[in-house]
Amino acid sequence: MSSVLNRASRNFLWRHPWQLALAIVGIALGVAVVISIDLAMESSLSAFDQAGKAFSGVATHRIIAGDGGLDEKLYRRLRVDEGIQKLSPVVNGYVFMSKQTDAGFNLIGIDPFVEKSFQSIWQIRKNKNTSAGLLTRLVTELNTALISEQTASRLGLNIEDDLTIDTDHGERRLKIIGLLSPNNAVSEQVLSRLIVTDIATAQEVLEMFGRLSSIEVLIDKYQPAAYTPSLAIAAPVPDRLAAYTPSLEIIRKALPGNALLVEAESQSQAMREMTRAFSINLKALGLLSLLVGMFLIYNTMTFLVMQRRRLIGSLRSIGVTRRQIFKLIIGEALLLATIGTLIGIVLGIALGQGLLYLISGTINAIYFRIDVASLTITPLQIGKGALLGITATLLAVLPPAFEATRISPVTVLVRSQLESGIRRLIKAANLISGVFILGGMALALWSGKSIALGLASIFVLLFGFAMMTPALTLMFMKLIERVFGRLSGILVRLPVRMVSAEISRTGVAIAALMIAVSATIGMDLMIGSFRQTVADWVQTSLRADLYVSLPGEKMPDARAEQDQRLKAKLAELQDVKMLSSVLHTNTAIARDGVYAEAGAAAENNFTKVSVFELNEKSRPGFIFKHKTDNELWDRFEQQQTVIVTEPYAYHQGVKIGDKIRLQTDQGSEPFEVLGIYADYSGDQGHLAMSRRNYRHYWPDLGYSGIGVYAKDGVDLQQLENQINKLLTGQQSVQSDQALYKASMAVFEQTFTITETLRWLSAAIAFVGVFSALMALQFERTRQLGILRAIGITSGQLTVLITGETALMGLVAGLIAVPVGYIVAYMLIFVIYQRSFGWTMAFHFNPGVIYQGLALALIAATLAGILPALKMAQTKPAEALRSE
Amino acid sequence: MSTEAAITIQRLSKSYQESGQRHQIFKDLNLQVSIGEFIVLLGRSGSGKSTFLNLVSGIDQPDSGEIIINGIQLTGLSEHDRTLFRRHHIGFVFQAYNLISTLTVGENLLLPLELIKRTSRQERDTVAKLLDQLDLADRFDTYPDRLSGGEQQRVAIARALVHDPDVILADEPTGNLDLDTGQQVLALFDTLVKNAGKTLIMVTHSPEVLGKADRVFSIRNKSLADARDGVYAASLSGTGAAVEG
Repeated sequence: MSSVLNRASRNFLWRHPWQLALAIVGIALGVAVVISIDLAMESSLSAFDQAGKAFSGVATHRIIAGDGGLDEKLYRRLRVDEGIQKLSPVVNGYVFMSKQTDAGFNLIGIDPFVEKSFQSIWQIRKNKNTSAGLLTRLVTELNTALISEQTASRLGLNIEDDLTIDTDHGERRLKIIGLLSPNNAVSEQVLSRLIVTDIATAQEVLEMFGRLSSIEVLIDKYQPAAYTPSLAIAAPVPDRLAAYTPSLEIIRKALPGNALLVEAESQSQAMREMTRAFSINLKALGLLSLLVGMFLIYNTMTFLVMQRRRLIGSLRSIGVTRRQIFKLIIGEALLLATIGTLIGIVLGIALGQGLLYLISGTINAIYFRIDVASLTITPLQIGKGALLGITATLLAVLPPAFEATRISPVTVLVRSQLESGIRRLIKAANLISGVFILGGMALALWSGKSIALGLASIFVLLFGFAMMTPALTLMFMKLIERVFGRLSGILVRLPVRMVSAEISRTGVAIAALMIAVSATIGMDLMIGSFRQTVADWVQTSLRADLYVSLPGEKMPDARAEQDQRLKAKLAELQDVKMLSSVLHTNTAIARDGVYAEAGAAAENNFTKVSVFELNEKSRPGFIFKHKTDNELWDRFEQQQTVIVTEPYAYHQGVKIGDKIRLQTDQGSEPFEVLGIYADYSGDQGHLAMSRRNYRHYWPDLGYSGIGVYAKDGVDLQQLENQINKLLTGQQSVQSDQALYKASMAVFEQTFTITETLRWLSAAIAFVGVFSALMALQFERTRQLGILRAIGITSGQLTVLITGETALMGLVAGLIAVPVGYIVAYMLIFVIYQRSFGWTMAFHFNPGVIYQGLALALIAATLAGILPALKMAQTKPAEALRSE
Repeated sequence: MSTEAAITIQRLSKSYQESGQRHQIFKDLNLQVSIGEFIVLLGRSGSGKSTFLNLVSGIDQPDSGEIIINGIQLTGLSEHDRTLFRRHHIGFVFQAYNLISTLTVGENLLLPLELIKRTSRQERDTVAKLLDQLDLADRFDTYPDRLSGGEQQRVAIARALVHDPDVILADEPTGNLDLDTGQQVLALFDTLVKNAGKTLIMVTHSPEVLGKADRVFSIRNKSLADARDGVYAASLSGTGAAVEG
């Protein structure tokens, strides 16, 4: 394209630095939010993968067990009796640094002389500290450990220093005998949260005597399947696994009831599956920011085209073709998109670091334990963000680019003609918006269990309402004028007229603000409803007066006996009337179970089980989602039955009367589903069975919590003090109210990320409105100059412009309230149910409406102040000279 | 025409900074205009005619010198006070009409009245009468973009007069109009402005106006020069016709 033509375009952009900067900011913010969420989410999840690789290395499979772990005899049996050599035992658990607020460490006990081909991260080659002598010392000296050089330096420790750690069972000292030096960023991140010991030390520190957490298995891919053809024929498996079959089948046959052999990567996949809904919801919030950002880009580019109507008309008259004009505008957009996206990537990385802690905190609170030290940035994620930013910009710029090509070389449209053209477009947009709204509703109704389609339906709905916004704005303005116009003066009517007269500009700004505010109202109502539902649920569930918490790994035998002794002591206390108990554990789903072919459950292998010992006071704490009778509890205690949580029933498609087969120590056993109850403690759901039932099939693993019911009139504080004396360091006792507060604090924590992202999209909308208003005021500089010429003071002009922007905010708020309600309804009854399987009541909170209205009004007014002041300060003589 | 001075301009200087260079527009310009006097201002494009009107109306500020209107020292006023002064004492007619596009014809006329707190029912009648005089009685509720150029300029004249200012400033009011419409507009100035005894300063290239003006000036050498000899005016108008004094 002609360089002179390009220069004409470039010069124009340079002469509008505000608009240029705001367009870039719009793109950058949209891209930044999307990238930051992606980076933070992926970093959190890859931290889990990497931690796994620290001890699994290139293992192909892993033998895992539910709570209680694996008997270490299994390792010996597989290695010695079955001759499977490439096995690596692992004992691991979380410990904390004493007197440090630092996050926890993963303590891994390994056999350092085991098969080297695992290539675990700690087995760094050429690392002088992993020399044979040092490893021998690790095995032969009890309570010795290796940590990374970075950790040692962070904690101010040297070789031969003692490392004091807190475990579930009290304080322990480990002697540092060597430092591991990472050789890349990934190993550095993993090692920074790792303490390596030998198996015996780890078993002692974690009190896992005679138990293993897992056994890593490396199966040679080229092992001929023909070794034991009878097995391969007997149990046909997919081709991919065919080569492994002999060893795998031998291992499977040797496993006890609570153990499973899984592919090494399947845990990572299961973890990703578990957080899929959370991840999709977060990414949708990021896309919402980008959608608002697109409005901003569209608005800016439209302004840049409109401002150049004369220039483009002149160019057309001297022979510049439509295609050249189109290329010119697209070229500009591409340049802006590139700059904006690059800034967005840098901002996104910075923002991602902040979000990382929020996201990993939420995953820690509701899914599984992860430790994330820093953001992992991959070219793929950056590429995705860049592609998204550039595509969004080009999409947003298409309408103004086409508009530019339609500018006639003969007549340059005057503003009023342009606006009347826009009004015709608004009518068309109104019709289309109806199609979008109906389409969004239809999509929500017929999208089955898909979360992505559910979220897409909200986007389609929001877009529909956004398209309807200009028409609704015109209607509102007419109404305001009808009601107040006759009573008020022209100076009051003028802002109303200004909004409707320049609807092509004001409409877009109002729509962008409306989307952000309605999303805010929707999320506020949803979170409020959820909070109320959870609060009601927690209050109903907490039936005991005091709760004793017994954290830590659940182990059979000695550990379980300790728990039993504590429970007996509690029962003997004079002020205690009765007790209830719960054990949170997990159990393998039988491979021939009803879900064996149902995907997630079968792949996931384990299901969480709450084992209850209930009494007449604790039973009403269960909120069933259906009518129940007295027989339910009898059958729960006496028969081979379970009750399931609502999310479990939703995700697994379980109905009352179904039978779930669980892998017990005596083989696969069916458990009939008696009821479905409300539970908001996790989104994957779990089963609940009576302790009597559980003990029939599984070994005793002690308790996770004990509910204490005091006798009438007892001083609870005194009882709490008495109980406290019976507890060890990690055990604690809390009143029902303290537990309620703690539960609600966790609830609030899980929504911090949602709140943060919501405010981010509101901030982008604010920039959008600000940009639109700036553009608007620049465009009408001359008109404002005329007002000044006929005697309107700069103060009056400020009030006039701020009044106009306040009106825009008011309209955005008024439209956002009903739209926000629809969004809330969709979030509660479509998205949250599909994502997490929770049903909740819609709690109406009028405060949210006022807040939403105030937010829109304040944001728009604030966004209008600077343009208003700038215009008021512009000298009337200069304003009159402007085009 | 009264001999009392409506406008006194003394040693007025004005310059602009453009592309790093200072352009002097006026230097020590002096002028005295009597009440009811009709002054025509000629000059090449860019000579500073519009700047002169902006200075007289207080829209722009001089570098030095004094502008006194009805005894009020305009150059000593703050920006805010100049605006208040303008809304009471000045009526402005622009070449490009400059009506407020978001207000109807009637509202465009009511706005200057509202600014000086004249908002009674009677004012509405005044506006209606004025529009009637301008043959625009049926256009009270029409938006300016529905009017022809001539109609818009008639509304602009009405807006400049509606609040009964002492001084009318007109910046090439016929510049955008065809010959016939231009003459109609000028006739309006005759009947509504001159006959009402208003002081009028008009920037124009129209030779027809020169004969009706009390004095004709052109901007030459950064000051005002009497252009009664007509030669200069004729050369500007391009008609070649001599202009009578």
